[in-house]
Amino acid sequence: MKIRLTLNGEKITLDASRSDSLLDILRRAGYTGTKRGCETGDCGFCTVLVDGDAVKSCIRPAARADESAVETIEDLGTQADLHPIQAAFVDNAALQCGFCTPGMIMRTKALLAENPDPEKAEVREALSGNLCRCTGYENIVSAVADAADRLAAGDRSDAATDGGRQRKQCTACDYEGVQE
Amino acid sequence: MSRPDGPSGDQNAKSTSSTEPGSADGDTPDDVSSAAGRDAVSTAAEKRDARKIVTGEAKYTADYGGQFPDLAEAAVRRSDIAHGVVTDIDTSDAEAIEGVYAVLTPDSAGMPDGPYTSAGQSYPEPSPWDLRVLRRRVRYVGDPIAAVAAKDTDTARAAARAIDVTYEERPAVFDPDAAVSEDAPRIHDPDAVENVQSGADYDRNVEAHLAGEIGDVEAAFAVAAERDDRSVVETTWETPYQSHCVPEPHTTIARRDEDDRYHLVSSTQVPYHVRRQLAHLFDVPIRDVRVTKPQIGAGFGSKQSMVIEPIALALAIAADRPVKLEATRAEEFHAMRFRRPSRGRIRSVVTDDGDLQAIDMSVTTNSGAYGPHGMTAAVSVGKKPLPLYAGTPNLRLDATAVHTNLPVAGAMRGYGAPQGHFAVETHIAEIAREIGMDPIAFRRRNLIGEGDVETASAILKSGDGHGRRIRSCGIDECIERGKAAIGWDDVDQPPEDHRHRACGVALATQGSGIPGDELGAAHIKMNEDGSFILQTGAVDLGTGADTVMAQIAAEVLGARPEDILVQPSDTDVSPFDYGAYASSTTYVTGQAVRKAATEARDQLFAVVARLLDEPVDDLVAHDRAVHAESSGSSVTLEELGYASIYGDDAREQVMGEASYSTDESPPPFAAQFADVTVDERTGEFEVHELVCAVDCGAAINPDLARGQITGAMHMGYELAAGGELTFDEEGRPNVAGFRDYGMPRTADQPPLTPILVETHEPTGPFGAKSVAEVPTNAVPPALSNAIRRAVDVRITDLPITPEKVKSALDQRRESADDV
Repeated sequence: MKIRLTLNGEKITLDASRSDSLLDILRRAGYTGTKRGCETGDCGFCTVLVDGDAVKSCIRPAARADESAVETIEDLGTQADLHPIQAAFVDNAALQCGFCTPGMIMRTKALLAENPDPEKAEVREALSGNLCRCTGYENIVSAVADAADRLAAGDRSDAATDGGRQRKQCTACDYEGVQE
Repeated sequence: MSRPDGPSGDQNAKSTSSTEPGSADGDTPDDVSSAAGRDAVSTAAEKRDARKIVTGEAKYTADYGGQFPDLAEAAVRRSDIAHGVVTDIDTSDAEAIEGVYAVLTPDSAGMPDGPYTSAGQSYPEPSPWDLRVLRRRVRYVGDPIAAVAAKDTDTARAAARAIDVTYEERPAVFDPDAAVSEDAPRIHDPDAVENVQSGADYDRNVEAHLAGEIGDVEAAFAVAAERDDRSVVETTWETPYQSHCVPEPHTTIARRDEDDRYHLVSSTQVPYHVRRQLAHLFDVPIRDVRVTKPQIGAGFGSKQSMVIEPIALALAIAADRPVKLEATRAEEFHAMRFRRPSRGRIRSVVTDDGDLQAIDMSVTTNSGAYGPHGMTAAVSVGKKPLPLYAGTPNLRLDATAVHTNLPVAGAMRGYGAPQGHFAVETHIAEIAREIGMDPIAFRRRNLIGEGDVETASAILKSGDGHGRRIRSCGIDECIERGKAAIGWDDVDQPPEDHRHRACGVALATQGSGIPGDELGAAHIKMNEDGSFILQTGAVDLGTGADTVMAQIAAEVLGARPEDILVQPSDTDVSPFDYGAYASSTTYVTGQAVRKAATEARDQLFAVVARLLDEPVDDLVAHDRAVHAESSGSSVTLEELGYASIYGDDAREQVMGEASYSTDESPPPFAAQFADVTVDERTGEFEVHELVCAVDCGAAINPDLARGQITGAMHMGYELAAGGELTFDEEGRPNVAGFRDYGMPRTADQPPLTPILVETHEPTGPFGAKSVAEVPTNAVPPALSNAIRRAVDVRITDLPITPEKVKSALDQRRESADDV
């Protein structure tokens, strides 16, 4: 069957079998930023936005996604021009292996769209369907708070700096200023 | 660099290399004691894959599938029974399904039939060769019997299900104590296993047994029996199976390449060991196997085992096309590898003054159905924690690895040490209570320290000369910093009478690589623009090892970390490396990188000496240039890049290479604290905070080091109070997915506070020791000790649950009533 999506703002039609999940057709179409971790909706690595809602794409039948607007990690910033949420994850060292990160970021995007200034407990509640094995979550929760601040400040261009975090000076960043 | 907006903008320029962070900079976290004199190390350089991770562009094994248009997907048919023999495998229905390319059974032509071990260890592997790729003789629910390659995953799985397997069942045994009894079912036939481990006795399902002693333990107990200024304390413990819960399931793409070689893209921690083991298994020269490690979705030891690669390769050969095999999450929870359960007993002799006289530790580990890492992990249960109290004159360790018909244990972060620290650090707490000493004061009195030579880690080796000198030890400061952070001296009791709050402490140590059994190598070459390409065999599993390697090379070469491009490990390209395990990467491969970079720098200095007519001795590299200190003249790395390659005379490629191996394995140290409130009516407990202060030597990248600490505490907290793999009476797993397993989530993970206590390890690269494993070790004992202090009950078996606490409280009340 044909699944018509507005995928990251573009109209696209994807082939699907009856048993395909939304995750299956996205990955097959090359949107591999969305990760497969369990196929039972328990890990959140496959989280994408469907009509603005965070959805675990591994348990969303492709057929049910027909005619919906789907947003994946590929729609956010680029490495050269990170989205504020992505920049917050980078600058807060909120990632290690990275397998959960795209889903975590999409979940964060949905959260902050709904609740632009969440309390820490609200962040923890909102992310509780997205597992991370590497970080212990501390820096992820900090990154979400930081992302909220950046978005509130209308921060789109400052994505590459370490923004809201008072972190220690990084000498590796300083050479431009000390030439000669 | 593909970082056009990278962190090198002028807006960030604040300091020069002569005004270092860590000096008077108020922004500097106070846990990084001193970074003076360092440029690229001891800085929180951005993790080099961070941007491609957050944009979804990082490519893990499964993401390479699209490169192969004729890729087949695979599925494995696994044993439904815990113990028996497959008497018939009917594959006709499976083969009749459209889109099935290959169905393999143990009898298929070309199937490797020799025994091997899945343990990705150096050659010759200490683990027994007791596995076959596909198995007629099945020993646990999950043993692979047959495998399918098909046009897509659904077809492959349908075909795997359609295979009709007939079994002759045998009695199974699931408890390690029952397994060693004489009438227990025999799980392995010794004639079918190559086992070089000590003490194997397959008639009693014993995979290995080892014992060692320092001093005379029995004499110490005899003295204790005679004298009333000695106490004898005895405790027991038990720990369960734990899953690594790797985010990325084990995944392999195997194919025959255009050069008629086998090429695997695989989520492995040990590309070189996999290459060697596959070559052996498939009876081809090592040169005909290539293993490429792409981005890895974490390993924690699970991917130190070669679990799915042989099946994927056999299918690729049979189907004559590339095959991707990706473990399902259910398979991750029963058919991959796990932390081994352990149980045992410790007894000790202590004087009234608080001097440990003897520790006698016996441990039994449950290897499950096969033996990878069985002996080495079992002995680590004792060898890892005992060095904390290495001054104890009499030590004995007795370790037995036992088979049962349960899933296969392997390597997991900590490698026996989390089990051992639970045993030892709850025992130490009980001794302190017994003799009425403060638990920290008692530990301090017996603790290892800088300058000590400890032999406890070599307790199983015969003869002298196995002492390990402790050249760096920050454990005292770890204790002090941890105490202050958790509020040890300042616990406010809740207003309710039935709720009690207390802090618990446990100490931890580990190694930095396997002494005398590691090799790391590195190769670095210069580009014209003053950047470098660094190749190491170090396997970055997501930890940030590549970033650390870049920082080490940059520090030597006076470059920025982002000027060092690190190539992911690939056995065709990278220098050899034993792989990512045993906390070896920073310590061992980091030294190889430092040496290789130093060799390249020496070449740069020779070029500069010619160009500037300055003596080599006067040259230093920093700020992306080589400077003559006396004259102040300098040449930038970029100028040198061009000059060395396109210069008028003596053109040369600046490149360095080095190997590093060592008999040293300096221990990192940690002090773990837990702050808990227990409800004595219900047994429910709330963990307010976990604090872990770690001496990892110098932290090459403090952000990454802290990330290791919090992640390790998360995993330790799960062992303490969360996940547990259990099985029904037939040996079938009760856990099929994350929802059945108590992996902490954001909502129930207690806050984690990491503290870096920097020391300088003289044998490590820029003073570094290992960091990734030691913080895994001590959450369970710290939590058990906290509960003991809060409500005076001791939980000795993990995980700690409200039901167990309640039951212990009830028992305590009953026994109090009896009195």
